[in-house]
Parts: sequence; C-alpha cells; structure tokens
Amino acid sequence: MQFSRLCWYLSSLLLLGMNINLNAESQMQSAAATPQSSQSLRIASWGGAYENSQRIAYFEPFSQATGIAIEIVQHNGTLAQLRQLAKGSEPQLDLIDLSKGVAIAGCKEGLLARFDISILAPAEGATHALEDFYPDSAFECGITQLISAIVIAFDDRAFPGDKPSSVSDFFDTNKFPGKRGLRRDPEAALEWALLSYGVPYGQIYDLLSTKRGLDLAFARLSSIREDIIWWERGSEPPELLATKKVVMSSGYNGRFFDRQMKGLPVSIIWQGEIIEYAVWSIIKGTKARTIAEDFIRFATLPKQMALQASHISYGPTRYSAWRKIGLHAVTKQPMRNHMPNAVEHISQAIVKDPQWYASTEELRQRRFEKWLAKTQN
Amino acid sequence: MYPIDYYTAYTGGNITIQIRAVIYKVVLIALVGLGIGTITSVTVVGFVELVSWLNDKLLISAKSRVQHELSAYLLPAMTILVPSIGGLLTGWMLQSFVEHKRALGPPDVILQAQIHSPAASFKSGVASSLAAVVSLGCGASVGQYGPMVYLGCMLGNMFARFKILLPNIGPICIGCGVAAAIATAFNAPIAGLVFTHEVILRHYSIQAFAPITVASVTGYVIAKLFFAREALFLVNFDGVGHSYEFLFFAIEGALCAFLAVLFMRSILASAKLASRSGIHKMLQPMLAGLILGMLALVFPDVLGIGRETLRFATIEGAFEMSELVLLFSIKMLVTALCIGFGFAGGVFSPALLIGILFGAWYGSAVAYLLPEYFSSIEVYAVCGMMALTSAVIGAPLTTIIIVFELTRNYDLTVAAMVSVVFSNLLAWHLFGRSLFDRQLLARGFDFVAGRDHTILDNTPIVNFARQSYQVCYMDEPVKVLVERLATHSNAQAMVVNRNNTLLGIIRRRDINHSATDIPIAALMQNVDLCFDQTTSISQAMLQLHRYKGDVVPVIDVKKSLLGVVSESEAIQAYTQTLQNLREEENAVL
Repeated sequence: MQFSRLCWYLSSLLLLGMNINLNAESQMQSAAATPQSSQSLRIASWGGAYENSQRIAYFEPFSQATGIAIEIVQHNGTLAQLRQLAKGSEPQLDLIDLSKGVAIAGCKEGLLARFDISILAPAEGATHALEDFYPDSAFECGITQLISAIVIAFDDRAFPGDKPSSVSDFFDTNKFPGKRGLRRDPEAALEWALLSYGVPYGQIYDLLSTKRGLDLAFARLSSIREDIIWWERGSEPPELLATKKVVMSSGYNGRFFDRQMKGLPVSIIWQGEIIEYAVWSIIKGTKARTIAEDFIRFATLPKQMALQASHISYGPTRYSAWRKIGLHAVTKQPMRNHMPNAVEHISQAIVKDPQWYASTEELRQRRFEKWLAKTQN
Repeated sequence: MYPIDYYTAYTGGNITIQIRAVIYKVVLIALVGLGIGTITSVTVVGFVELVSWLNDKLLISAKSRVQHELSAYLLPAMTILVPSIGGLLTGWMLQSFVEHKRALGPPDVILQAQIHSPAASFKSGVASSLAAVVSLGCGASVGQYGPMVYLGCMLGNMFARFKILLPNIGPICIGCGVAAAIATAFNAPIAGLVFTHEVILRHYSIQAFAPITVASVTGYVIAKLFFAREALFLVNFDGVGHSYEFLFFAIEGALCAFLAVLFMRSILASAKLASRSGIHKMLQPMLAGLILGMLALVFPDVLGIGRETLRFATIEGAFEMSELVLLFSIKMLVTALCIGFGFAGGVFSPALLIGILFGAWYGSAVAYLLPEYFSSIEVYAVCGMMALTSAVIGAPLTTIIIVFELTRNYDLTVAAMVSVVFSNLLAWHLFGRSLFDRQLLARGFDFVAGRDHTILDNTPIVNFARQSYQVCYMDEPVKVLVERLATHSNAQAMVVNRNNTLLGIIRRRDINHSATDIPIAALMQNVDLCFDQTTSISQAMLQLHRYKGDVVPVIDVKKSLLGVVSESEAIQAYTQTLQNLREEENAVL
C-alpha cells in the first residue's frame, strides 16, 4: 500500500516551501542550545563490527567536521531498554539506532521526538530528499537508514555438488542431510516454515495470524526437529558453520559476510531473507536536539552511507547512496550483491512486519515453548 | 459512422470535415473511458480500503483477531455481535434509503445495459454501496465484487447523462465503469474488459470495446499507483504432470456444476424462506448475522471473504479431508443465508472459496486414490475454484482470463479451462446461464433466448401506436361517419365520448347506407381486443396474429384512447427495435 507514501510525498512538498524558514529557525536554536549541550552527542548503537562501520562512516567524520564529541552507549534493542534510556525529563541519551518495530512502539509511548523531514539533505542534482529514500522511509519518529536481513547460510564444504538454494531446501533433510542451526526463538523460523509451503511473501503474516497457519508452521519445524541445533547469540551461527557443527544455519547476513571476507567458505541463500529496517530516532526531551538533527542529516548523506556500505553488508535506504556502493574497503570485493536490498534479493524477501511482531509476542513465545517441550520428549 | 472513404463518397468528398468528426469522436471515446476509469478506480480503492479498515477495527481480519487471542470474552463477543449489528445496520440502510428495498448488484446492471431500463436513483446506489461496505466490513459471508460492479455502473451512469456524445452512450458508460471496477479490484485489466462484454453487454462492438479498454487500463494503472502489489493469487505450479489428469479436471468441472447449482438454488431458496418467514425485512440480515457469528465461533474460516482460507486450500495438509467437506458445506449455507436474508454483497468471493475448498478435497481424493497420476493439490484447488465460480456468474471466458491474470501461470490456466467449460456446460442445462439471469427471470426478465425477446417483451407497443384514425362521438348520427369514412380507407372507427374515453368500435361493413339517420350508439359494438400502456410489442404481435379486425385501440388506465395499432405498426415496432439493437452491437464510432 503506497497511500502513506503519497501522503508523505505531499507533506514533504509542502514542507519544502517552508524549508528556508525552518532552517533559519533551527540555526538560531542551535546557537542558543550549543553552550548548554557542551558540544557533545550521546548515541546508542549495537556494538561489534556494525558499530565499527558506523564509527568509520559517521561518528569520526562528524566529530572532525563539527568539533562535537560523540559518546557511544550500547543497547540491546528492546523496548524495555529504550524506556529506561529515554525516561525522565533529562534522558541519558540524545539519539538512538533502533529497529523499526521498536521505534514505532517507542513512538507510540511518547519516548521519541517527532521527526522533521526537512532536516534531510537532498541528493545531488535537485531531487527532493524523500524521493531519494525508499518508500515509507520517513515516519512519525524517525528515518529508516539501513536494511539488514536474517538469512540462511550453508557450508560450501558440506554440499560440493547440488547446493541448497531455497528455504524449502532448509527443511529438506533428505536432499540436503545434516544439522541445521536455528535461533531458539520463533523469529524467522515460523516465517520460513510457512514459506516452504509455497505461500507468497506478502501473505506470510496474515496466515501466521491464524491457528491453522501456526499449526502448519510448527508441523514443518517438527519434520526437521531432530536436526536442529539451537543458537542464541548473533555471533554463534558463523561459528557453528566454521566448526562444522551444522551444515546450514540461520543468522544475520552481516555476520556471515564478515566471516566470508575472512575466508570461511559459506554461502547465503537469499530466497526468503527476512528484512529488517534500522532507523535513527531522537530521544524526546533531549537538550541536544539540534545537534542530533545535524548528525542525522550528516549520517544520511549518500556519500557517508556508501562509505559504511564498504565496510559491512547492510544496505543503505537511499537510492543515490546505493548507486555509490563499490568495493569492500579491505578485500576489494564488489559489495552490491552482498546487500540484502540488491535487486535480485529483494524480490524474494519477506519484509518483517513490526506491528505483527508487537501484537503476537506472547502468543508466539507460548506456542514455541509448548512445541519445544512437546518435541523434546 | 462508416469508414471515411465510404462516407466521403456519400457526402461529396469533403474529407476534412469527416476526418475532423472522426477525430472528435475518437478523442471523446478516449476521454469517456479515461474519466469513468479514473473516478471508478479511485472509488473502488476507497471501497476496498474502507472494508479492510473496518475488518481490522472490528476484529474480522486474522491479523486483528490474533491480537486479542488471549482475551476470554472480547473475541467471542465481537464475533457474534459484529455481524449481528452489521446486519441490523445493513437492513436499516437498505429499507430506508434504497428505493428497491434490497441491495443493488450485477442483475440491475445487466438489466440497464441490456434493455436500457432506467437506473436506480443516485441516492439508492450510494446507500446500497455503503450497505455493502458495512456488510463486508462486519464480516458477512458475501462477496465484494458484486457491489463494486454496481458502483462502477452507477459512476458510469453519471457520465451517460451528458447526452452530447454518442449514440448508445448509456451501455458504454456502464461498461466503462464495470470494467474499471473489476480491473482495479483484481488488478486484472483483461478480465475487466472480458467480464464487461461477456456478462454485462453480451455483445462486442468496436464502439464499446475501445472506451471500455481505456477504462479498464486506467483502472489497472491507478490500482498500481495505490497498491504496489504482486499478482493476487500466486501459485507455484510447474505444469500438469500427466496427460490423463485433464480427464480428472473435466470430471471435477462436472462435479463443480452440481455444487454450483446447489449453491445457487440454496440462495434462491433462502430468499424465499426469508420472505415467508414473516420477519421484518429490516431485521432479516441481523438474524443471518447472528447465525453467522455463532458458527464463526467454531469455524472462523466462514467469516468475511476468507482470504487466508483461500490460500490454505492450496496447501497440502492444511485441512483434513472431512474438514474440507464440512467447511465448504457450511460456507455454502452461510452464504445462502447471508444473501437470502438481505446482506448487501455479491456471490463471487464466496463462490471462489467454496470452489477452492471443494477442489482441495477433490485433489486430496485423487491423490489418495491414484497417487501416481497426481501433479499437485494446487491445480485441483484452482480448477475447482474457477469451475464453480464460472457456473455461478455465467462467464467461462472471464473466469479463464481471471485465472491467467491472477496467477500469471499458463499451465494452470490451461488446466482450469477444461474444468471451467464442463462446469458451465452442465450448469447451463441444469440451472440456466447464471445466478444473475435466474434472479432476473424471477423479476420477469427472461434472457434465455438473448435480449431481443426480453426487449420486445418489455417495450410497450403504445410508443409505436398510429395517431391517424377515425373517431366519432356517441351522439353523432351515422351519416357524419359515412362522410368521414368516404375520404379514408379505414375500415373501422373508434367511438368515444367528449372526454376521449373509448366506448366501442364501429365497422364500415356494419353500416347500412339506407339508414344513416340513426345514432352511432345503435351500431356500435363492444371492443373485443384492446391494448393498454403495458402491452408489449411481443404480446401485441401475438394477439394481432389471431385478430380478425383491422386495428386495435390502445388506451390508458382511464380508458382514454391513445392511438391504434394494426399489424403493420406491430411489424414496424418489431423491426425498428431489432434494428436499433443490431446498430448498437455493430457500431464502430
């Protein structure tokens, strides 16, 4: 449904008219706010190779250009932690990198500031900024900046001949025997189980909302139950593959890519990748709002986004940034086809539905635990 | 209009004027298609969005129901209350604001396009469409395409009021609206075009074809602008595995015909039951809603359009075989109940669901009996779905095109084609062309032998009555009449009083020329055959055939003489009417 896209587009056109005015105002605010904020910005991110790529592409260049120090806090991405970080009249944080689902929930709870689309820089050659972003990128409390994916990867050494190429192959232990790694959580597993029946990508969450859909999904999981090895932390899947404990595993595409670049012979099955969006959101009540806005403007510049994409295989949500993506900074491998949003991958992706996740949390966990208990006996 | 060179020969060679006229008409046709296409398509998008918004808010859609899965009371209470209250609202809207006191749908559209019957008022149309939104929004087991077809027709009619344009503008505008509605709703422009011609217009003229194509494509383009969605019903199917399976598809089609007839008869029977039940018409849908709600507590699949169930039916192992039989039987009964008891909505979507559940059952049975000769359950499910639907709406070609546009799968289309034609063939013999035609027959419009008969049955002969005839008054002497008859060839004269009320008839051969002083009353005879304003052309022809006299008087309800009709007027009426139809069907510009 692109109606909201149309609305955003129209509202952004309106705002464009007021742009000059707004900028003038924000500069004034900036001048007033600077002494109080003591020229620093507190950002929450996720740690690891991902945070590292952000440091290279965003944090350090921003500090260099503006003289503003950036202080990084790590968070686990849950709504509970967001509540803690954002509470009170003087929050401990100014800006946060969140998954879109949590950001929408946080926005509803009033933890995040209203996002002003006019702070975004237009792309070179006069296109208006929002037109350069993916549809629906801007929402009430933030801007979608990055696309990551949960995917299935397999050990190339385990399948020298025919290689698995679809989610159905993950569930086909006759054709591709061996252990499978799965996160000990219904996330992704249910989507894939249903997808393996031939359900179209767009209908997965509708069907999973019915008892019949969940029953079908668990029935599929039961069929490979004995071959499942559970993992819990994101760093585990590449390790399970490296140590040959499994022949296939679910995991985050960036983690697999990182190990690929270091020489591990694994391949990714892009069919059925489950796409998640990361957003920049400003904490409500922060005194450094203007600096945070300046940072978002900087961190969504196509050049900076493309720089990040040369360090990690998470795709930018700007078309002009996508066009600038070239080789990996270290291995000099072409990066585009490692991105979850490469044209050939995105046409077979499941886009994670944050609303559905928020409303079915309890149900999924309960059914999953029940199924685990039943099948372990 | 004739081709240009042909025309110029007639008009002395002024080719510039002719080309200008052609360009004018081509542009006009394109604008009509574009205008109606745009308005209809945007309205249909609004309709769909409104229904799905209501479904979400009223806990009808699966995604909204799952959020309250834990609540002990909310979900069951809503499941019963929402369809019941929706029924009450629907009943109130239809009885209070629609002049026909029922929902408007494809039969009304067919009637308008076929015999140019006057359209229901705009207010009735809007009320009926809103009642359909309420019905569908509250999860009634009815379809959404019927109301959309009417919506298209209603919006098309708005354009037909501008009489500046073309001959036959009425049916063309209706066709444009219907095509745009179907193209938008299904994301299928060819199906929109074919449906309009096969079900609504029932003829193919270039004059109508061009604007309807424009409208259909406009609908499709606008739908794309709003919903960036893939084909509606994607199915993985790599082709029919064994050639014998085509025989199974044919048998499946035949079985679907029986099921379709049962379905259609249940709808008609349920409507009869409703009218005999003595329940107030405003409350009838509420009762249906209550029963639907209670059944949905146990079988949530019967609520609404059942998009999820439609998909599950193509998955092997999603249902037990006995569960399939139970579900398609319940869905059939509930749909008959909802439509018969006055919910506003169509039969297309329920027919799809009943058909696909039956197809899944049939496929499972084939797989069970002959596992080696079996390609996949999807193909049997889709064949069942389309075969049953095609028999219900009476449109084999449309259904075949819909399979193609919805699945974008050629092999599947070829398989479904076999089922569809056998189903149609059989259902036609067992029941009639479609449910719509049977509903029209019940209202007195018989389209079995094409529209020629229906139009002749429904065009009053009075429109063709002759105005020149002999009149004389009761109190006049016969000799006055003799003088008048001397200058005319008429063999009869009509006897009226001073208010033009017909009193009798007097024949030339009854006049005795030796006794012309007696008053006319003495020779007047009673009228043995007389037509009124409701007498149709075909009735007139039939009665004139056996009539011995010269002319038959036509009177109104107050017995005032309106004119006379002889056999030659009747023949004139007959040929003129048919000629108009042929001109409409063969019109180019």
